Amino acid sequence: MKFVRTRLKLEKHYEDFIIENKEKHYRIAYSYVKNADDALDIVQEAVFKAYVSLNTLKNPEYMKTWFYRILVNSSLDFLRKQKKIVTMDEENIAVYNDCFTDQYENIDLNHALDELPSDCRSIVILRFFEDLKIEEIAKILDENVNTVKTRLYKSLNKLRIQMND
Amino acid sequence: MKNNNIDQLKKDYMNIAIPEELDFKIRKSLAEGKKTMNRQKHLNAIKTAAASAAVIAAVFTVSINTSEALALTLSEIPVINKIVKVLTFREYKINEDTYNADIKTPSIEGLENKELESSLNDKYMAENKILYEQFMSDVEDMKANNGGHLGIDSGYVVKTDTDKILSVGRYVVNTVGSSSTTFQYDTIDKENEILITLPSLFKDESYIDIISKNIKEQMIEQHEADEYKVYWVEGIEDASMAIFNEISDNQSFYISSENKLIISFDKYEVAPGYMGVIEFEIPSDILGDILISDEYIK
Repeated sequence: MKFVRTRLKLEKHYEDFIIENKEKHYRIAYSYVKNADDALDIVQEAVFKAYVSLNTLKNPEYMKTWFYRILVNSSLDFLRKQKKIVTMDEENIAVYNDCFTDQYENIDLNHALDELPSDCRSIVILRFFEDLKIEEIAKILDENVNTVKTRLYKSLNKLRIQMND
Repeated sequence: MKNNNIDQLKKDYMNIAIPEELDFKIRKSLAEGKKTMNRQKHLNAIKTAAASAAVIAAVFTVSINTSEALALTLSEIPVINKIVKVLTFREYKINEDTYNADIKTPSIEGLENKELESSLNDKYMAENKILYEQFMSDVEDMKANNGGHLGIDSGYVVKTDTDKILSVGRYVVNTVGSSSTTFQYDTIDKENEILITLPSLFKDESYIDIISKNIKEQMIEQHEADEYKVYWVEGIEDASMAIFNEISDNQSFYISSENKLIISFDKYEVAPGYMGVIEFEIPSDILGDILISDEYIK
Protein backbone atom coordinates (compact mmCIF):
# COMPACT_ATOMS: atom_id res chain seq x y z
CA MET A 1 0.00 0.00 0.00
CA LYS A 2 1.27 3.39 -0.91
CA PHE A 3 2.29 5.35 2.08
CA VAL A 4 0.59 8.68 2.15
CA ARG A 5 1.85 11.42 4.34
CA THR A 6 -0.67 13.53 6.08
CA ARG A 7 -0.19 17.11 6.91
CA LEU A 8 0.84 16.20 10.44
CA LYS A 9 3.36 13.69 9.26
CA LEU A 10 4.62 16.22 6.79
CA GLU A 11 5.07 18.79 9.55
CA LYS A 12 6.96 16.29 11.65
CA HIS A 13 9.04 15.31 8.68
CA TYR A 14 9.78 18.97 7.98
CA GLU A 15 10.74 19.69 11.59
CA ASP A 16 13.09 16.74 11.64
CA PHE A 17 14.61 17.80 8.35
CA ILE A 18 15.19 21.35 9.62
CA ILE A 19 16.71 20.28 12.93
CA GLU A 20 18.91 17.72 11.26
CA ASN A 21 20.23 20.07 8.59
CA LYS A 22 20.35 23.34 10.48
CA GLU A 23 24.12 23.68 10.20
CA LYS A 24 24.09 23.13 6.47
CA HIS A 25 21.39 25.72 6.09
CA TYR A 26 23.30 28.15 8.23
CA ARG A 27 26.44 27.72 6.17
CA ILE A 28 24.59 28.35 2.96
CA ALA A 29 23.08 31.55 4.33
CA TYR A 30 26.41 32.57 5.78
CA SER A 31 28.17 32.05 2.49
CA TYR A 32 25.91 34.74 1.05
CA VAL A 33 25.88 37.32 3.79
CA LYS A 34 29.22 36.69 5.53
CA ASN A 35 27.80 37.67 8.85
CA ALA A 36 26.59 35.45 11.68
CA ASP A 37 23.64 37.56 12.80
CA ASP A 38 22.33 38.07 9.30
CA ALA A 39 22.78 34.40 8.48
CA LEU A 40 20.81 33.46 11.60
CA ASP A 41 18.03 35.85 10.63
CA ILE A 42 17.87 34.42 7.14
CA VAL A 43 17.73 30.82 8.28
CA GLN A 44 15.04 31.67 10.81
CA GLU A 45 13.02 33.49 8.23
CA ALA A 46 13.36 30.67 5.71
CA VAL A 47 12.36 28.06 8.31
CA PHE A 48 9.24 30.01 9.18
CA LYS A 49 8.32 30.83 5.59
CA ALA A 50 8.70 27.23 4.53
CA TYR A 51 6.61 25.99 7.45
CA VAL A 52 3.61 28.13 6.61
CA SER A 53 3.85 27.22 2.95
CA LEU A 54 4.29 23.48 3.42
CA ASN A 55 1.19 23.01 1.31
CA THR A 56 3.17 24.19 -1.71
CA LEU A 57 5.40 21.17 -1.30
CA LYS A 58 3.70 18.71 -3.60
CA ASN A 59 5.99 15.80 -2.97
CA PRO A 60 7.80 15.37 0.36
CA GLU A 61 10.69 13.76 -1.49
CA TYR A 62 11.53 17.19 -2.86
CA MET A 63 11.71 18.77 0.57
CA LYS A 64 15.42 19.39 0.29
CA THR A 65 15.38 21.23 -3.04
CA TRP A 66 12.16 22.96 -2.09
CA PHE A 67 13.66 24.26 1.13
CA TYR A 68 17.00 25.19 -0.43
CA ARG A 69 15.13 27.27 -2.94
CA ILE A 70 13.39 29.18 -0.17
CA LEU A 71 16.69 29.56 1.69
CA VAL A 72 18.65 30.74 -1.34
CA ASN A 73 15.90 33.18 -2.28
CA SER A 74 15.76 34.50 1.28
CA SER A 75 19.51 35.03 1.16
CA LEU A 76 19.35 36.83 -2.17
CA ASP A 77 16.40 38.94 -1.03
CA PHE A 78 18.36 39.89 2.02
CA LEU A 79 21.37 40.88 -0.01
CA ARG A 80 19.20 42.92 -2.31
CA LYS A 81 17.53 44.71 0.58
CA GLN A 82 20.80 45.38 2.34
CA LYS A 83 22.43 46.35 -0.93
CA LYS A 84 25.37 44.32 0.17
CA ILE A 85 25.95 43.06 -3.30
CA VAL A 86 29.03 44.86 -4.53
CA THR A 87 26.98 46.49 -7.24
CA MET A 88 23.92 45.17 -8.98
CA ASP A 89 25.20 46.24 -12.35
CA GLU A 90 28.36 44.32 -12.08
CA GLU A 91 26.40 41.34 -10.92
CA ASN A 92 23.96 41.48 -13.77
CA ILE A 93 26.64 41.91 -16.34
CA ALA A 94 28.46 38.97 -14.90
CA VAL A 95 25.37 36.79 -15.07
CA TYR A 96 24.81 37.73 -18.68
CA ASN A 97 28.43 36.99 -19.36
CA ASP A 98 28.01 33.60 -17.75
CA CYS A 99 30.15 34.06 -14.69
CA PHE A 100 33.01 36.04 -16.15
CA THR A 101 33.69 39.09 -14.12
CA ASP A 102 36.65 41.37 -14.17
CA GLN A 103 39.84 39.75 -13.04
CA TYR A 104 41.06 40.54 -9.59
CA GLU A 105 44.60 39.94 -8.55
CA ASN A 106 45.89 38.12 -5.48
CA ILE A 107 42.65 37.01 -4.13
CA ASP A 108 42.48 34.00 -1.84
CA LEU A 109 40.09 31.16 -2.41
CA ASN A 110 37.35 32.44 -0.19
CA HIS A 111 37.44 35.74 -1.87
CA ALA A 112 37.58 34.12 -5.24
CA LEU A 113 34.29 32.45 -4.44
CA ASP A 114 32.84 35.72 -3.23
CA GLU A 115 33.78 37.36 -6.46
CA LEU A 116 31.51 35.03 -8.35
CA PRO A 117 28.09 36.48 -9.06
CA SER A 118 25.59 35.08 -6.61
CA ASP A 119 23.98 32.69 -9.09
CA CYS A 120 27.32 31.15 -9.92
CA ARG A 121 28.31 31.10 -6.28
CA SER A 122 25.09 29.27 -5.41
CA ILE A 123 25.91 26.68 -8.02
CA VAL A 124 29.42 26.06 -6.70
CA ILE A 125 28.24 25.91 -3.09
CA LEU A 126 25.34 23.60 -3.76
CA ARG A 127 27.26 21.35 -6.12
CA PHE A 128 30.53 20.94 -4.29
CA PHE A 129 29.84 21.78 -0.68
CA GLU A 130 26.35 20.41 -0.38
CA ASP A 131 26.82 17.66 -2.95
CA LEU A 132 23.59 18.35 -4.76
CA LYS A 133 22.97 17.09 -8.26
CA ILE A 134 22.94 19.50 -11.18
CA GLU A 135 19.24 18.72 -11.66
CA GLU A 136 18.50 19.61 -8.05
CA ILE A 137 20.42 22.86 -8.35
CA ALA A 138 18.53 23.72 -11.51
CA LYS A 139 15.29 23.24 -9.61
CA ILE A 140 16.44 25.34 -6.67
CA LEU A 141 17.63 28.19 -8.83
CA ASP A 142 14.81 27.84 -11.32
CA GLU A 143 17.21 27.59 -14.22
CA ASN A 144 17.50 24.95 -16.86
CA VAL A 145 20.05 22.20 -16.44
CA ASN A 146 22.26 23.36 -19.28
CA THR A 147 22.52 26.88 -17.90
CA VAL A 148 23.57 25.46 -14.56
CA LYS A 149 26.15 23.22 -16.19
CA THR A 150 27.59 26.06 -18.22
CA ARG A 151 27.80 28.37 -15.24
CA LEU A 152 29.36 25.70 -13.08
CA TYR A 153 31.99 24.99 -15.69
CA LYS A 154 32.76 28.65 -16.17
CA SER A 155 32.80 29.30 -12.43
CA LEU A 156 35.34 26.55 -11.97
CA ASN A 157 37.43 27.94 -14.75
CA LYS A 158 37.35 31.29 -13.16
CA LEU A 159 38.26 29.95 -9.75
CA ARG A 160 41.20 28.08 -11.19
CA ILE A 161 42.31 31.05 -13.20
CA GLN A 162 42.35 33.16 -10.10
CA MET A 163 44.20 30.51 -8.18
CA ASN A 164 46.83 30.27 -10.85
CA ASP A 165 47.45 33.98 -10.92
CA MET B 1 44.56 21.14 -9.50
CA LYS B 2 40.92 21.98 -9.82
CA ASN B 3 39.99 19.38 -7.24
CA ASN B 4 42.51 20.68 -4.79
CA ASN B 5 41.06 24.12 -5.09
CA ILE B 6 37.59 22.84 -4.51
CA ASP B 7 38.72 20.77 -1.54
CA GLN B 8 40.36 23.80 0.00
CA LEU B 9 37.24 25.84 -0.63
CA LYS B 10 35.08 23.16 0.85
CA LYS B 11 37.29 22.98 3.91
CA ASP B 12 36.93 26.69 4.43
CA TYR B 13 33.25 26.39 3.91
CA MET B 14 32.87 23.57 6.40
CA ASN B 15 34.87 25.62 8.90
CA ILE B 16 32.27 28.34 8.99
CA ALA B 17 31.61 28.62 12.70
CA ILE B 18 28.14 27.60 13.82
CA PRO B 19 26.75 30.02 16.43
CA GLU B 20 25.57 28.43 19.64
CA GLU B 21 22.16 30.02 19.38
CA LEU B 22 21.44 28.42 16.01
CA ASP B 23 19.59 25.45 17.45
CA PHE B 24 17.52 27.61 19.76
CA LYS B 25 16.62 30.05 17.02
CA ILE B 26 15.68 27.33 14.57
CA ARG B 27 13.40 25.68 17.09
CA LYS B 28 11.82 29.01 17.84
CA SER B 29 11.05 29.52 14.17
CA LEU B 30 9.61 26.04 13.93
CA ALA B 31 7.41 26.72 16.95
CA GLU B 32 6.20 29.98 15.43
CA GLY B 33 5.49 28.25 12.12
CA LYS B 34 3.54 25.54 13.87
CA LYS B 35 1.59 28.06 15.91
CA THR B 36 0.64 30.01 12.82
CA MET B 37 -0.47 26.86 11.06
CA ASN B 38 -2.50 25.67 14.04
CA ARG B 39 -4.23 29.02 14.22
CA GLN B 40 -5.23 28.64 10.60
CA LYS B 41 -6.38 25.10 11.14
CA HIS B 42 -8.34 26.20 14.16
CA LEU B 43 -10.07 28.91 12.17
CA ASN B 44 -10.95 26.36 9.51
CA ALA B 45 -12.32 24.04 12.16
CA ILE B 46 -14.55 26.77 13.55
CA LYS B 47 -15.80 27.61 10.08
CA THR B 48 -16.52 23.97 9.43
CA ALA B 49 -18.41 23.53 12.65
CA ALA B 50 -20.45 26.66 12.11
CA ALA B 51 -21.33 25.66 8.57
CA SER B 52 -23.04 22.55 9.74
CA ALA B 53 -26.07 22.05 11.90
CA ALA B 54 -24.83 18.65 12.91
CA VAL B 55 -23.42 18.01 16.32
CA ILE B 56 -19.93 16.70 16.67
CA ALA B 57 -19.86 13.75 18.97
CA ALA B 58 -18.38 10.33 19.19
CA VAL B 59 -20.45 7.45 17.92
CA PHE B 60 -20.19 3.98 19.23
CA THR B 61 -22.01 1.17 17.64
CA VAL B 62 -21.83 -2.49 17.40
CA SER B 63 -22.47 -5.57 15.11
CA ILE B 64 -21.04 -8.84 12.29
CA ASN B 65 -19.69 -12.41 12.10
CA THR B 66 -18.43 -15.69 10.77
CA SER B 67 -20.24 -15.84 7.44
CA GLU B 68 -18.91 -12.33 6.96
CA ALA B 69 -15.34 -13.55 7.21
CA LEU B 70 -15.03 -13.56 3.45
CA ALA B 71 -16.50 -10.13 3.17
CA LEU B 72 -14.02 -8.90 5.73
CA THR B 73 -11.08 -10.34 3.84
CA LEU B 74 -12.24 -8.69 0.66
CA SER B 75 -12.65 -5.41 2.43
CA GLU B 76 -9.16 -5.40 3.80
CA ILE B 77 -8.08 -3.55 0.74
CA PRO B 78 -9.41 -0.17 1.70
CA VAL B 79 -11.42 1.75 -0.79
CA ILE B 80 -9.35 4.80 -1.29
CA ASN B 81 -10.81 8.07 -2.31
CA LYS B 82 -8.55 10.73 -3.70
CA ILE B 83 -8.51 12.83 -0.57
CA VAL B 84 -9.65 11.10 2.58
CA LYS B 85 -8.11 7.71 3.10
CA VAL B 86 -8.22 4.85 5.51
CA LEU B 87 -4.95 3.05 6.00
CA THR B 88 -3.72 0.33 8.26
CA PHE B 89 -1.69 2.16 10.79
CA ARG B 90 -0.50 -0.66 12.96
CA GLU B 91 -0.98 -4.36 13.13
CA TYR B 92 -0.41 -6.61 16.10
CA LYS B 93 -0.02 -10.25 15.32
CA ILE B 94 0.37 -13.13 17.68
CA ASN B 95 0.62 -16.70 16.52
CA GLU B 96 1.17 -19.13 19.36
CA ASP B 97 -0.37 -22.49 18.56
CA THR B 98 -3.67 -22.01 20.40
CA TYR B 99 -3.50 -18.28 20.82
CA ASN B 100 -3.99 -16.14 17.79
CA ALA B 101 -4.40 -12.44 17.52
CA ASP B 102 -4.56 -10.18 14.54
CA ILE B 103 -5.37 -6.63 15.44
CA LYS B 104 -5.26 -4.03 12.74
CA THR B 105 -5.62 -0.39 13.62
CA PRO B 106 -7.04 1.82 10.93
CA SER B 107 -5.94 5.38 10.45
CA ILE B 108 -7.97 8.00 8.71
CA GLU B 109 -5.84 10.38 6.75
CA GLY B 110 -6.30 13.45 4.66
CA LEU B 111 -8.92 15.38 6.60
CA GLU B 112 -8.28 19.09 6.90
CA ASN B 113 -10.00 18.96 10.25
CA LYS B 114 -7.08 17.55 12.21
CA GLU B 115 -8.98 17.62 15.46
CA LEU B 116 -11.53 15.23 14.08
CA GLU B 117 -8.90 13.13 12.38
CA SER B 118 -6.71 12.72 15.40
CA SER B 119 -9.63 12.22 17.78
CA LEU B 120 -10.76 9.28 15.65
CA ASN B 121 -7.28 7.89 15.16
CA ASP B 122 -6.43 8.27 18.82
CA LYS B 123 -9.64 6.46 19.69
CA TYR B 124 -8.75 3.62 17.32
CA MET B 125 -5.27 3.38 18.79
CA ALA B 126 -6.48 3.47 22.38
CA GLU B 127 -9.22 0.90 21.82
CA ASN B 128 -6.92 -1.50 20.06
CA LYS B 129 -4.29 -1.11 22.73
CA ILE B 130 -6.90 -2.11 25.30
CA LEU B 131 -7.97 -4.98 23.06
CA TYR B 132 -4.40 -6.16 22.79
CA GLU B 133 -3.70 -5.86 26.49
CA GLN B 134 -6.97 -7.59 27.36
CA PHE B 135 -6.13 -10.41 25.00
CA MET B 136 -2.66 -10.83 26.45
CA SER B 137 -3.99 -10.95 29.99
CA ASP B 138 -6.68 -13.45 28.92
CA VAL B 139 -3.94 -15.59 27.43
CA GLU B 140 -2.00 -15.46 30.68
CA ASP B 141 -5.12 -16.48 32.62
CA MET B 142 -5.80 -19.33 30.27
CA LYS B 143 -2.23 -20.56 30.36
CA ALA B 144 -2.43 -20.56 34.15
CA ASN B 145 -5.59 -22.66 33.90
CA ASN B 146 -4.44 -25.59 31.78
CA GLY B 147 -4.54 -23.71 28.49
CA GLY B 148 -7.16 -23.49 25.81
CA HIS B 149 -7.97 -21.71 22.61
CA LEU B 150 -8.19 -17.97 22.33
CA GLY B 151 -8.44 -15.91 19.23
CA ILE B 152 -9.05 -12.35 18.40
CA ASP B 153 -9.33 -10.82 14.98
CA SER B 154 -9.83 -7.15 14.72
CA GLY B 155 -9.73 -4.92 11.71
CA TYR B 156 -11.81 -2.60 9.69
CA VAL B 157 -13.93 -2.37 6.58
CA VAL B 158 -14.71 0.66 4.56
CA LYS B 159 -18.47 0.36 4.19
CA THR B 160 -19.02 3.49 2.20
CA ASP B 161 -16.65 5.77 0.40
CA THR B 162 -18.33 8.30 -1.81
CA ASP B 163 -17.45 11.91 -2.50
CA LYS B 164 -19.63 12.82 0.43
CA ILE B 165 -19.53 10.01 2.95
CA LEU B 166 -16.91 7.81 4.53
CA SER B 167 -18.17 5.02 6.76
CA VAL B 168 -15.56 2.91 8.47
CA GLY B 169 -16.58 -0.12 10.46
CA ARG B 170 -14.23 -1.69 12.93
CA TYR B 171 -14.90 -5.25 13.90
CA VAL B 172 -13.74 -7.45 16.70
CA VAL B 173 -14.17 -11.19 16.46
CA ASN B 174 -13.56 -12.94 19.75
CA THR B 175 -13.09 -16.65 19.60
CA VAL B 176 -13.46 -18.59 22.81
CA GLY B 177 -15.11 -21.80 21.68
CA SER B 178 -17.80 -19.96 19.77
CA SER B 179 -17.17 -16.54 18.47
CA SER B 180 -18.74 -13.21 19.10
CA THR B 181 -18.50 -10.28 16.81
CA THR B 182 -18.94 -6.62 17.36
CA PHE B 183 -18.91 -3.77 14.92
CA GLN B 184 -18.42 -0.11 15.51
CA TYR B 185 -18.90 2.44 12.79
CA ASP B 186 -17.72 5.96 12.30
CA THR B 187 -19.35 7.93 9.55
CA ILE B 188 -17.75 11.10 8.36
CA ASP B 189 -19.07 13.84 6.13
CA LYS B 190 -16.01 14.33 3.95
CA GLU B 191 -17.11 17.64 2.53
CA ASN B 192 -17.84 19.37 5.80
CA GLU B 193 -15.42 17.19 7.73
CA ILE B 194 -17.68 16.33 10.59
CA LEU B 195 -18.53 13.14 12.35
CA ILE B 196 -22.14 12.11 11.77
CA THR B 197 -23.96 10.69 14.76
CA LEU B 198 -27.35 9.07 14.63
CA PRO B 199 -29.08 11.74 16.74
CA SER B 200 -27.44 14.49 14.67
CA LEU B 201 -29.37 13.35 11.61
CA PHE B 202 -32.79 13.94 13.13
CA LYS B 203 -34.86 16.84 14.35
CA ASP B 204 -35.89 15.12 17.56
CA GLU B 205 -35.91 11.78 19.34
CA SER B 206 -38.92 10.44 17.51
CA TYR B 207 -36.50 8.66 15.18
CA ILE B 208 -35.98 5.98 17.84
CA ASP B 209 -39.66 4.91 17.73
CA ILE B 210 -39.99 5.21 13.98
CA ILE B 211 -36.85 3.20 13.21
CA SER B 212 -37.50 0.59 15.91
CA LYS B 213 -41.04 0.01 14.66
CA ASN B 214 -39.78 -0.46 11.11
CA ILE B 215 -37.08 -2.89 12.20
CA LYS B 216 -39.63 -4.99 14.10
CA GLU B 217 -41.82 -5.13 11.01
CA GLN B 218 -38.88 -6.22 8.90
CA MET B 219 -37.94 -8.88 11.43
CA ILE B 220 -41.40 -10.37 11.44
CA GLU B 221 -41.70 -10.16 7.68
CA GLN B 222 -38.43 -12.02 7.24
CA HIS B 223 -39.46 -14.66 9.76
CA GLU B 224 -42.76 -15.21 8.01
CA ALA B 225 -40.96 -15.67 4.71
CA ASP B 226 -38.33 -17.95 6.20
CA GLU B 227 -39.02 -19.61 9.54
CA TYR B 228 -35.32 -20.12 10.19
CA LYS B 229 -34.82 -16.40 10.38
CA VAL B 230 -35.39 -15.84 14.01
CA TYR B 231 -35.20 -12.60 15.90
CA TRP B 232 -35.65 -12.03 19.58
CA VAL B 233 -38.67 -9.86 19.17
CA GLU B 234 -42.28 -9.90 20.23
CA GLY B 235 -44.36 -11.61 17.59
CA ILE B 236 -41.73 -14.25 16.93
CA GLU B 237 -40.63 -15.16 20.40
CA ASP B 238 -42.66 -15.04 23.55
CA ALA B 239 -42.34 -12.07 25.85
CA SER B 240 -39.52 -13.56 27.89
CA MET B 241 -37.28 -13.77 24.81
CA ALA B 242 -38.39 -10.49 23.28
CA ILE B 243 -35.06 -8.84 23.84
CA PHE B 244 -35.26 -6.28 21.11
CA ASN B 245 -37.57 -3.47 21.98
CA GLU B 246 -36.02 -0.40 20.50
CA ILE B 247 -32.74 0.83 19.14
CA SER B 248 -30.47 2.67 21.51
CA ASP B 249 -29.75 6.31 20.88
CA ASN B 250 -26.23 5.43 19.89
CA GLN B 251 -27.20 2.39 17.87
CA SER B 252 -24.62 1.14 15.40
CA PHE B 253 -25.34 2.57 11.98
CA TYR B 254 -23.79 3.66 8.76
CA ILE B 255 -24.91 5.38 5.60
CA SER B 256 -24.70 3.29 2.46
CA SER B 257 -23.38 4.54 -0.84
CA GLU B 258 -27.03 4.65 -1.97
CA ASN B 259 -27.73 7.19 0.75
CA LYS B 260 -29.67 4.72 2.86
CA LEU B 261 -29.54 4.50 6.60
CA ILE B 262 -28.34 1.07 7.69
CA ILE B 263 -28.88 -0.04 11.27
CA SER B 264 -26.54 -2.75 12.41
CA PHE B 265 -26.75 -5.24 15.26
CA ASP B 266 -23.94 -7.32 16.66
CA LYS B 267 -24.03 -11.05 16.75
CA TYR B 268 -26.28 -12.12 19.66
CA GLU B 269 -27.62 -8.61 20.08
CA VAL B 270 -31.11 -9.25 18.69
CA ALA B 271 -30.96 -12.78 17.33
CA PRO B 272 -29.42 -16.21 17.87
CA GLY B 273 -25.74 -16.55 17.03
CA TYR B 274 -26.30 -18.33 13.73
CA MET B 275 -27.94 -15.18 12.42
CA GLY B 276 -24.63 -13.46 12.74
CA VAL B 277 -24.33 -9.76 12.39
CA ILE B 278 -27.54 -8.24 11.20
CA GLU B 279 -28.23 -5.15 9.18
CA PHE B 280 -31.49 -3.44 8.38
CA GLU B 281 -31.92 -0.87 5.68
CA ILE B 282 -34.39 1.74 6.82
CA PRO B 283 -36.61 3.01 3.99
CA SER B 284 -35.82 6.67 3.49
CA ASP B 285 -39.46 7.61 2.92
CA ILE B 286 -40.43 6.86 6.52
CA LEU B 287 -37.61 9.14 7.72
CA GLY B 288 -38.32 12.08 5.44
CA ASP B 289 -40.32 14.11 7.95
CA ILE B 290 -37.86 13.86 10.82
CA LEU B 291 -34.56 14.23 8.95
CA ILE B 292 -32.82 17.55 9.42
CA SER B 293 -31.89 17.52 5.77
CA ASP B 294 -31.74 15.12 2.87
CA GLU B 295 -28.04 15.77 2.52
CA TYR B 296 -26.99 12.31 3.67
CA ILE B 297 -30.08 10.17 3.50
CA LYS B 298 -32.37 10.21 0.50
